Amino acid sequence: MKHVSPNDVAGETRVKAPTRRALAKQQTRAKVLTAARKLFSEEGYEGATIRDIAAAAGMSTGAVFANFTDKSDLFREIMTADMSSLAEGMRDAATKGRNLEDALLRAFMAGYGFYKSRLPLARAAFSVAWSPDEGQVLRNLPPVVAQQDLIVELLNAAVERGELSQESEVKLRAQMLFDAYLANYNQAIFQGWSLDALQARARDQIRILLAGARRG
Amino acid sequence: MRTAQKQATRERVLCAAKDLFGRLGYEGTTIREIARQAGVSVGSVFTTFASKGEILSQVMQDRLDGLYAELDRVVPHLRGPTPDRLRTMFAIHFAFEEPHVHLFMAHIAATYDWTQTEAARPFGKTPRLQHIMLECLAKGVEAGDVDPQADLQGIVDLLMSAYAWTYRLAAWQGADAKTMTEVMDRQIGLIAGGFTRTTASVS
Repeated sequence: MKHVSPNDVAGETRVKAPTRRALAKQQTRAKVLTAARKLFSEEGYEGATIRDIAAAAGMSTGAVFANFTDKSDLFREIMTADMSSLAEGMRDAATKGRNLEDALLRAFMAGYGFYKSRLPLARAAFSVAWSPDEGQVLRNLPPVVAQQDLIVELLNAAVERGELSQESEVKLRAQMLFDAYLANYNQAIFQGWSLDALQARARDQIRILLAGARRG
Repeated sequence: MRTAQKQATRERVLCAAKDLFGRLGYEGTTIREIARQAGVSVGSVFTTFASKGEILSQVMQDRLDGLYAELDRVVPHLRGPTPDRLRTMFAIHFAFEEPHVHLFMAHIAATYDWTQTEAARPFGKTPRLQHIMLECLAKGVEAGDVDPQADLQGIVDLLMSAYAWTYRLAAWQGADAKTMTEVMDRQIGLIAGGFTRTTASVS
């Protein structure tokens, strides 16, 4: 997966040098995205308005709409960028795992570490994730699906190694692990849990959720 | 007279709120819209409730009182292995919530509202549900099919996240109470793998 930095989400693959106009457009998009990220973090999804985002970016609402269809488009773009680099970070972290439990824990910790500095945005994202329409869109973003797929892959590899039994209900177990991972953001966001506390909790949860599938 | 009027406003607000949260979700519902649909002023909504979160909490509490009364009646009579007792409890929940899945999702979404005031009780801050599960697990420890070393609160947390997740099946895939119950049954089975006391672990 291509690494996308938060401020470079508009980056298209270019073979030729970009025209000046394309560059300007890219800069405009980046400016809007930076402003939107700030406002979503400060005001939440519903509280952030396109007008405020435009003002923070120092441009007209018309200029924002020339680049993004609506607020949900903006939010999706930001989430896609973050989730893509996070998916990559989780995968890298998991490869250092000594066994399944360790690999899962490292992947989860990559997530908590990533969001440690942007919890207000995570809070906005969870709120959107439970809304009637946008929730499904967010949950089905390709890089979010990639994170779930990573867990499935890790479990399947463990079955192949013989670490887990053949009848491990990998799909359901992976989804439950992912949901437990997500639910812990609550403690991070609202109770200010440290990374160590999150790690201890995630480790316990991983153990409980793997216990029934362990061989022997 | 005044009290009666205040009570009528309160009921109109709760009725409008229930409808709006169920249709538009937590983020999508505004106090202004609730006031409009209830036919009262925004100001009079605020004389009764301090925040949007409190209105939803009240809507949920009024409904959940019925559910908990039913559970209080049923739970003492439940017999059998702990996972099965948990399954029965959640089956009752899903049957109860099936007509209101979007409202329940709003209840979960409210968890992430940081303008939440003290009196608001979004999902996860409803001690009753967690208490019921803890009791069920404690009963299992006594009966001997739940590992006494198990972290009961940790298990409750996992049950809560599995329970919440299952509502998305209803909202996004049109799952009915029966389907949600089946999925939850399997999830409880997996979690039970982490707390069931087997003959092998009893040394």
